[in-house]
Amino acid sequence: MWEGLDIKEIVEMAKDPYPSIKEWAERSGKKVVGSTFADAPEEVIYAFGLLPVTIMGTTKPLKRAPSHLPDNACSLARSNLELVLSYAGDVFHGFVLPQVCDTTQHLSDIWRINLPGKYVESYLAPRQVDRPSARYWVKKELERLIDSLSNWTGMKINDGELVRSIAIHNENKALLKELYELKKKNPSSLTNKELFSMIKLSQQVDKEEFNRSLRRIRDTIKPRGDSDGFTDIVLAGITCDPPEIYDLFDEIKLNVVGDTLLIGTRYIQGMVPEGGNPIDALTERHFKRGFFSPIHDDVFKNFEEMKTIYRETGAKAIVYVHIEFCESQEYDLPDLKKMIKKEGIPMHVLDTEYQTLSLSHVRTRLQAFFESLKGV
Amino acid sequence: MTEKITSKELSKKITEEYLDEAFHAHEKGKLIGYSTAISPVEIFVAHDIIPIYPENHAVANLTAKKGAELCSVVESMGYTSHLCAYARSDLAYRATGKTVTRGIPEPDLFLACNAQCFTLTKWFQVLARKGNLPLFVFDTPEFIMDKRAREEIVKYCVIQLKELISFLEEITKKKFDYDRLREVIKYSAESSILYKKFLDMAQYIPSPISIFDALIGMAIAVYRRGTPECVEYYRVLCDEIQEKVDKGIGVLPKEKEKYRLYWENLPVWFKFSDHAKLLGSYGGVILTSLYVHAWSFEFDLDKDPLVTLAENYVSRFSNSTIEDRASMALELFKKYSMNGMIMFMNRSCKAVSFAVPTLKDVLTKKTGIPALVFESDMGDQRFYSEAQIRTRIEAYFETLDGLKK
Ligand code: SF4
Ligand code: SF4
Repeated sequence: MWEGLDIKEIVEMAKDPYPSIKEWAERSGKKVVGSTFADAPEEVIYAFGLLPVTIMGTTKPLKRAPSHLPDNACSLARSNLELVLSYAGDVFHGFVLPQVCDTTQHLSDIWRINLPGKYVESYLAPRQVDRPSARYWVKKELERLIDSLSNWTGMKINDGELVRSIAIHNENKALLKELYELKKKNPSSLTNKELFSMIKLSQQVDKEEFNRSLRRIRDTIKPRGDSDGFTDIVLAGITCDPPEIYDLFDEIKLNVVGDTLLIGTRYIQGMVPEGGNPIDALTERHFKRGFFSPIHDDVFKNFEEMKTIYRETGAKAIVYVHIEFCESQEYDLPDLKKMIKKEGIPMHVLDTEYQTLSLSHVRTRLQAFFESLKGV
Repeated sequence: MTEKITSKELSKKITEEYLDEAFHAHEKGKLIGYSTAISPVEIFVAHDIIPIYPENHAVANLTAKKGAELCSVVESMGYTSHLCAYARSDLAYRATGKTVTRGIPEPDLFLACNAQCFTLTKWFQVLARKGNLPLFVFDTPEFIMDKRAREEIVKYCVIQLKELISFLEEITKKKFDYDRLREVIKYSAESSILYKKFLDMAQYIPSPISIFDALIGMAIAVYRRGTPECVEYYRVLCDEIQEKVDKGIGVLPKEKEKYRLYWENLPVWFKFSDHAKLLGSYGGVILTSLYVHAWSFEFDLDKDPLVTLAENYVSRFSNSTIEDRASMALELFKKYSMNGMIMFMNRSCKAVSFAVPTLKDVLTKKTGIPALVFESDMGDQRFYSEAQIRTRIEAYFETLDGLKK
């Protein structure tokens, strides 16, 4: 189902992958496990013969979420809740929900209470990463998750199954990385929207199948025009939605050459070292990638990371995507902006909301920002 | 014969001595550690680090109606109005020096325990960055309902408490004294029992205390636990309230006490006394909330001190599942014979408020008692609509009256 997709079909499907996931699950008889961002180890879920799906909100209208989460909750949490309550709840047989902030902690409870009968497990990754206890705890949580999934499915997994799952996931990330490199050098070969749709969909569909589509695209991709005239940018933040924002980037010829997003580089960075004990390797991975959880993503690290990507890629500016009203970002942003400014790096902050109907104000501000850059 | 000291006088004395010591900490070779109100502060006390709670200082300013003014200052610094008013008013105090108190001493280090909330970690990160100071995050995973998971969570927390001790030893170059810690926990255990006894006096009919007394009485438990003066304070307080009970004195006279109410969330600080009066005029007394019970610890002195600390702090209501919060609240409903509930959706406190709609559903279903839900902010007056809230309260009491008939 996902092995023969071309670029256009991927972009289309990434907009709303849930009908296809549902169909796939019915056909294959497999169960679907949803997770919110960001630490849930997909490889473990996959090793049980389940389909791990990262839930990434919906742009459809909010109907039921507001009565559970007030309007000062972040747009991502409300949108995710809406998706499972109104639009795609029947796609999922269960959930593994990581907790990164106060909002996500409540979200897991709200989901468990409002979706009775479904499997709901919390994945409690540490919200500190610099001390030895963090490593200890990641491993414990991985083991607990394996036990919990075993209980639910009545299945046991062995190292072989985990190793195989890891290999499939690693291959997916390697392919995405190659495609990203290709696009960076040759922005006419893949638009921003296309690349990020591939990364997004990778987190939602069966990777063994999807890797085949990605492999073929990699082997056949060609520049579709002139790659000149693009402005290279770094995209920073957690996610970037609604997807039409990429259309804006494409329209004004911006080329994302680096990012710190969960639906971008931070995902691709999550390759698991192969060869050793898989649980140890998965633990190790948690500390190798740019950290997902905003809670321990301290501003200095964030700043250093953004600065390094900016310098290494030779980009012209950073576009920071702020999700309304993400607390983690809102406590960090004033200082982050100051540091970036002091460094002399142009940065534009995009305030985004999943249910945004019109992007005209975003377009105007974005255009004005890049116009002013030209003048420098 | 000397006059007996009142709890009010004692509280003032303890607070003044505490702040005096804090302002002169460095002269005495002590450090100032900023801490979340819910955190294993016994470790600070045992290591001679003076705990300071920026939240308490914020409360003073918010109660004095300085919220809107201070909050607008930080908004001009780029912080949004969606953040906790404690944090906003504190960051504004740091930028402008404005406060209705003498202020609080500058920090040397930070301890953020996320059993309380995630906001404090972020807020302390901002402060720590500014002074380039060390911050210890005591990470308490949600106390989910699985028994085995809980055992593991406690173990993880104990390991972290050991890390906290090494962190402090490193900074102070002083060896940690476990015997001293045992002694400090003994005081905490003792004062917690008395504090709970004080809160539980709201069981009497008429109730001798309302939540407003509980909120005032809570302060010493927050910032002085682990000390003998804290124990002494609650002894005096309990005796005072017991006297009222013996004389049959209630917040409202017995015949007027119609509604014994539960309050969810923190109070609206700048409406503190207005709310008490308003509700009183309808025969309503708010008796308790999970919030004030957050400091009713049950330390087990027979256990390893780090284990009992971990078990207590990780299981606070704010770090419990909504189902567990509901059970805790239901227990209070039963114990205090409550027949109404006011559920405050506090824009400032996402940690407590995002549970409220679901909690309300569970509680109304299980008790059959209707709830009054209202949205506002605990400290920023710009989000408070007087007329609307008055109307809601009136309507709510009408509903309750209707049910009584
Ligand atoms: S980290 Fe931010 S975006 Fe993510 S769930 Fe929490 S508040 Fe929302
Ligand atoms: S009011 Fe809520 S968000 Fe603010 S510091 Fe207290 S617990 Fe945290």
